[in-house]
Amino acid sequence: MRKFLAVVKHEYKKIVLKWAFLIGTLLFPVIAAGFAVVPAIIFSIKGEPTRIAIVDPTGKIEPRLRESLASEKLLEKSRQATKDAVTDINASGEEKMQRGVQQLGESFAFAEYSGAEKSPEQIRRELNEKIIGKELDAYLLIPKEFDAPVAKYEFFSRKAGDFVTERILKDAVNEAVRSQRLADARIDESKIKTLSRNVDFEAKGVDEKGNEKDSDSSFIAAFIIGLMIYITLAIYGQMIMSAVVEEKETRIAEILFSSAKPFELMMGKLVGVGLAGLTQLSIWIISAVILAGFGATMFTAAGMDIAIPNITPLMILLFFIYFLLGFFIYASIFALIGAMVTSVQEGGQFSFPPIMLLLIGFYFSFAVIRDPNSSLSFWVSIAPFFAPITMPVRILAETPPIWQIGLSILINSLAIAALVWLAARVYRVGMLMYGKRATIPEVWKWIRQA
Amino acid sequence: MTEQNTTLKVENVSKRFGDFTAVENLSFSVKSGRVFGFLGPNGAGKTTTIRMIVGITFPDSGNIELFGDRISTELQNRIGYLPEERGLYKKMKIQDQLRYFAALKDVPQAEADRRIDFWLDRMQLSEWKKKKTTDLSKGMQQKIQFISTVLHDPDLLILDEPFSGLDPVNVEFMINVVAELKARHKTIIFSTHLMETAERLCDDIILINKSRKVVGGSLREVKASFGKNLISLRCEGGLNVLHDANLVARIVEHSDEKEIELAAGADSQSLLKRLIESGATITKFEQIEASLNDIFIEKVKETNA
Repeated sequence: MRKFLAVVKHEYKKIVLKWAFLIGTLLFPVIAAGFAVVPAIIFSIKGEPTRIAIVDPTGKIEPRLRESLASEKLLEKSRQATKDAVTDINASGEEKMQRGVQQLGESFAFAEYSGAEKSPEQIRRELNEKIIGKELDAYLLIPKEFDAPVAKYEFFSRKAGDFVTERILKDAVNEAVRSQRLADARIDESKIKTLSRNVDFEAKGVDEKGNEKDSDSSFIAAFIIGLMIYITLAIYGQMIMSAVVEEKETRIAEILFSSAKPFELMMGKLVGVGLAGLTQLSIWIISAVILAGFGATMFTAAGMDIAIPNITPLMILLFFIYFLLGFFIYASIFALIGAMVTSVQEGGQFSFPPIMLLLIGFYFSFAVIRDPNSSLSFWVSIAPFFAPITMPVRILAETPPIWQIGLSILINSLAIAALVWLAARVYRVGMLMYGKRATIPEVWKWIRQA
Repeated sequence: MTEQNTTLKVENVSKRFGDFTAVENLSFSVKSGRVFGFLGPNGAGKTTTIRMIVGITFPDSGNIELFGDRISTELQNRIGYLPEERGLYKKMKIQDQLRYFAALKDVPQAEADRRIDFWLDRMQLSEWKKKKTTDLSKGMQQKIQFISTVLHDPDLLILDEPFSGLDPVNVEFMINVVAELKARHKTIIFSTHLMETAERLCDDIILINKSRKVVGGSLREVKASFGKNLISLRCEGGLNVLHDANLVARIVEHSDEKEIELAAGADSQSLLKRLIESGATITKFEQIEASLNDIFIEKVKETNA
């Protein structure tokens, strides 16, 4: 037992007292903070107002445009867009980009210019000169027949690549023209607005006990948890493998085996590295909780209503339990591979199957997020190899009955017992085999004979 | 037998790997406080035997008794094993590695620290304590590995090729360290290909080849049993005498002298007499015993035939 503890201490210190660990651990919260805080900061930055001249021979469109491009109106729109972006993770890439555009602060300053009694060519020439002379950033030409099918709205800008301004302006023109059409048809615009208003559609999950909860925020949290467990398992699994290969490659294994039992050495390694992983995960989860709180305050302060997912201490305990289950499953597979191969590069080729299993588990977690109560979600959150990722996701999306969690923990613990037994047998023979990589039939022989 | 005079007893030990027999029916014992040479060519079964002694693997049949007992974790703490293939953690500080190896032998940390300082000082490596393995030369790494074998003050030392990779100055240095350990009544099993070193250090030897024992006993006995009459000769003339097949079986020419193996039944006195009679000028005539190297080569050839 004393030797086992010596191994645990050795492996733990070897990982935790390294710069890479410190940097990796700190970097994650910093990146996460970046995601939470940077958009909030970006809202508050307003670019230089775009100086724009609007030439409207009809005199009908311009006032409406001016009204809808006023700064207060734009700010309101941007807030709405941000809220949509945060609450809908299923949005396509294009939609996300459009929202990003709307989030950017943008404002307009209207330049006075009278185009009356001037030919279109003259107007264009004069305005182009103003742009060259930097008196103006852009101008918009509204056709005389603003509603004719062939009517063309022309926008000229000094900043040709400024798609933000272009998009905002396009939306505003369409809105202005639409409301003018309504006015011309003698339809009360305010009535239309009232009648076509979107309903307030709030998605809430209902758990088994009938409690309501906010589903949007749970989705995000479930996704983050799934990703976090997937990444840590992959990183720490490979860490185990390279530690095993190092001891084999440098022949330290022979000295170790003459001092302690191979099983003690292997378990000590698994436990030590597992504790290091747990340390890192704890730091991350604590900082995630703090950041979520901080982010929510920021959003609320910015006038947005973001619910924090309801995460109980029991849930956090279960995440740690599932991390450990997953860790021991994958770490013993990686230890087994490490004992088989002769170099880290060779081990890299063999780590494809466990990495594949991890990835499948991660992909299953999307299915679980969409429908936590389907029979697919049930099976993948019970199955060994997948449960360590899918069950925490499911717990967050919608906590399943206790018996299912219990069954899942039991089955995965049995899988660990079997894998550790297997790995230990390969370990004690493989670690002393130098020179060539063991073949699968050879490994099978070790397992049966040892 | 009691522990006072026998440290290790190997009895009829065999070990097979599939169809390959690594060790067959091997028996020997190592007396306490002596240096025991475990000799044999590559692939003879030395490493397999040593691994069974230290409890890394176990014999298929036969018995190994250490300090009068079967091998156990407690007994492993009394062995210091320096494997032939050995290494250190590449990116770890020397002190941390030594502490870990000591902890695995149940040495309390304070005691371990004291001994680490003592041995680093003894090996003239004190200033490398906080350095990483990759900063050390190969010879220095060898010495660190040696320290890791003696940190827990073991009663039995098993050194497999301990001097490989060391320059002559350091070999001499390490031989002195081993001699010091012997003076402290440690039992030392010493496996090597360097017959000259073995001849200098060992009290007893065993020679194995092709998984079997070839010859064993005290160095003196082995040499005596290898009953060859060798004469180191430096002379001018007398060639006809040397070519008399009744007297001389074989001549090995060295740069300025000859090594003469006497024919069966011939004795050195009659050779000397005949040489003087033939008028040869003799500047050196010395009866020598076979070197361990000669015995090694001869016996290995014999068993391979």
